[in-house]
Amino acid sequence: MHILLIEDDRAAAAYLAKGLTESGHTVERAADGEDGLHLALTGQYDILIVDRMLPKRDGLTVVRMLRADGSATPVLVLSALGEVDDRVEGLRAGGDDYLVKPYAFSELLARLDALVRRHRAPAEIPQRLRVADLELDLVSHRVTRGGKLIRLQPREQRLLEYLMRHAGQVVTRTMLLEQVWDLHFDPQTNVIDTQMSRLRSKIDKDFDRALLHTVRGIGYKLDESP
Amino acid sequence: MNLPRLLRTSAVRLAMRYALLYAVLIALGLGVLYWTSARFVDAQLGAGLRKTLNELALGHRDLDRKTFLALVRSRLRADAPDGLHLLLTDSNGRPLAGDLEGWPPGLPADGQVHNVWVEDDLISGRPDDEDGYWPAVGIRLPDGDQLMVAYGVDQAESLLDFTQGTMGTILGVSIALALGLGLLQGRALLLRIDTLVDTARAIGAGRLNQRIPLSGRNDEFDDLAGQLNGMLGRIEELMAGLRQVTDNIAHDLRSPLSRVRNLLDVTLLEAREPAEYRSAIERATAELEEIIRTFNALLEIAQTEAGSFRGEWTSVDLSAVAQELGELYRDTAEEQGKVLALEIQPGLSVRGNRHLLAQALGNLLDNAIKFTPAGEGARLQAVEDAGRVRVMVSDRGPGIPYGERKRVLQRFVRLDAARSTPGSGLGLSLVAAVARLHGATLSLEDAAGPGLLVTLDFPRGSAA
Repeated sequence: MHILLIEDDRAAAAYLAKGLTESGHTVERAADGEDGLHLALTGQYDILIVDRMLPKRDGLTVVRMLRADGSATPVLVLSALGEVDDRVEGLRAGGDDYLVKPYAFSELLARLDALVRRHRAPAEIPQRLRVADLELDLVSHRVTRGGKLIRLQPREQRLLEYLMRHAGQVVTRTMLLEQVWDLHFDPQTNVIDTQMSRLRSKIDKDFDRALLHTVRGIGYKLDESP
Repeated sequence: MNLPRLLRTSAVRLAMRYALLYAVLIALGLGVLYWTSARFVDAQLGAGLRKTLNELALGHRDLDRKTFLALVRSRLRADAPDGLHLLLTDSNGRPLAGDLEGWPPGLPADGQVHNVWVEDDLISGRPDDEDGYWPAVGIRLPDGDQLMVAYGVDQAESLLDFTQGTMGTILGVSIALALGLGLLQGRALLLRIDTLVDTARAIGAGRLNQRIPLSGRNDEFDDLAGQLNGMLGRIEELMAGLRQVTDNIAHDLRSPLSRVRNLLDVTLLEAREPAEYRSAIERATAELEEIIRTFNALLEIAQTEAGSFRGEWTSVDLSAVAQELGELYRDTAEEQGKVLALEIQPGLSVRGNRHLLAQALGNLLDNAIKFTPAGEGARLQAVEDAGRVRVMVSDRGPGIPYGERKRVLQRFVRLDAARSTPGSGLGLSLVAAVARLHGATLSLEDAAGPGLLVTLDFPRGSAA
C-alpha cells in the first residue's frame, strides 16, 4: 500500500519508512503538519500515519482539516500521550486508530493492514462471512464448517466475526482486547491465548485443515493457508 | 502586633461601621424625641400663660385699679422665680405695671401664644434672664390697656442644649466602646490568623509536614483549619507519591535499562554469527517490552493518583464489567486447572471510569488466579448491600500477613511469596489508586480458609 507518514522525529521516521518499505509498502514522508496536510490533500494514499505532536500544525488539526475536506482516507494517529482520554480525543478528531508510543512495529503493521482492509471492504454489510469452508451467518448467528454446525458462545462468536472480517491478516492480542472486549489494558495473564485456544478447539479440532494460526510473537491469523 | 494593622482588621472596621450606624440611629431617635417634647412643652407653657392671663383679665374687670395693680405685683413676686414676666401698658404702649421695659415688638395682642424675640434692654430689671425667643401672650383689655405674660426661658434652646449634650455623650461612649471591642476582637482574630499565616509560610518554605493548630473551640476557624490540614495532608501525600515515583523509576527502570545496554554493548564487542545477533536483539526487545510495561503502569498510577483525572466519568454497569472480565479470566483459570467462581448480582452500577475500573478488576483477578494453587478456586463477587456496591475477589493463595497489608499497596512492593511469579509489583498500587479516585474503600483481609480477600467498597450514592 501507499503510505503517507507525517512525523517530525527524523530518526523515527527513517526507521519506520525503512520497516514499511521492507514490508512491501511505498512510503512518502512529511516532517511537519503543513507539508503533511498539503501532501495528504494533493496525493493519493491508502493510509496516513500521523504523529500527534507536529510543528506548524499539530496532528489532530491535520486530521480534522482532512476530514473537513471530505477525505475518507484511513488515518492512524501515533502519540506519546497515552491516557484513555487522549485516545478518545484522537479518535474524535477523525483518526481511525490510535497507537501509543512506544509500540511494537508488528503492532503498527497489523493495525495499518486492518484499517486499509476495512476501508476497502464493501460498504454494505454482508449477510455471511466465509473463510474456506467456515461460514458465519450474521443474520441467523449460525456458524458452520463444512456444513457442520458449530455452537459458539456470543463472545466467541464476536471474536470469530472479528477474525473473519480480518481473514488473511495478522491481528494482535491488543487489537483483539480492544475490538472484541473493549478493554484498554495489558493483562498480565494471557487471557487472549486461552480464548483463542478455546475457539480453535471448536472450529479447527475436528477438521483436517487448521484455519486459525498463531503468528509467533505477534498474534493470530485466520486464513486458508498458514 | 502593630496598631495600623490592627485598625485594618475586618473586626475593627465592622465595629466602627456598626458604631456609626448606631450613632445615626440614636441621633434620629433623639431628634424625634426633641421635636415631640418641644411641642409638648410649648403646649404646656402656652396653657399656663393663657391661664395666668385670663386670671389677670378677670381681676382687671372685677377689681378697682389700685387693687388690680397690687394683684399684678403679687403675682409677679410669686411666679418670677419660675421665669414669669408680666407687663401692663396703656393704650399707647407705655408701661403701667410689670417687670418689662416695653411691649415686645412683634407680639400681637390677640390672646394667642407666640414665640417672640425679647431684647436684653426690655428685661433690664431681671438681669438673670437672657434675651431669646420667649413664649408670650397678650390681650387688649376692654379699657384699652394691654396686658401680656411671658416666660423668660428660651425653652427651645435649653431643650436643644440638653438633647445635644445627651446625644454627644451617647455617641462618644458608643464609638469608644465599639472601637475598644473591635480592637480586642481584631486582636483575637489576628492572633489566630497569624498562626495560619505562620503555617502557610512554613509550608511555602518547603516544610510540608506543618499543620495548623486547632483551638478546640470547634468554631469556623477550626473548620477552616481542619479543611486546610486535610488539603495539606493530601498535598503531602501527592508529593511523597511523586518522590516515590522518581525513586521507583530510578530503581526499577534503571536496572533493566542497564541490562539491555550491557547486552547490546557486549553483543557489539566482537563479530558474531547472524543467529547470535538475532538472539541478542530478541532478548533486548523482550527486556524493552517489560520496561515499557512498567513505565506505562507507573504513569497510569501517577495520573490516576494525581487527582486531575480528565477521562470519561459516567455511570458504569459494574455487573457487566465484572461479568465480562470474570468470564475472560475464568476460562484462563480453568486452563490452569483452577476454578474462578462468579457471583455477580445483575444491575449494579457506579459512577466512574469504565476503563480504570476494568483494569483494577483485571489486576485483582490476575493476582487471584496467579496465587491460587492448581485444583483450588478463587471467587469474584459483586453485590449491593444497603445501597453500597461491593466487589470482592478472594483467592486460595498464601494470603498477606496483617502487617504487610498496607505496604503491598505501595508501588513495586512484592512479598517473598510473589518473587518467583511474574509481575511488576504495581498491580495493587493501581487498584488502590483507582479505588481512591472512585471514593471506594480498598481493604485486604484473610479469606475464609487460607487466602486473601480483597474488597472494593463503593460509597453509598456512587451507584448511578
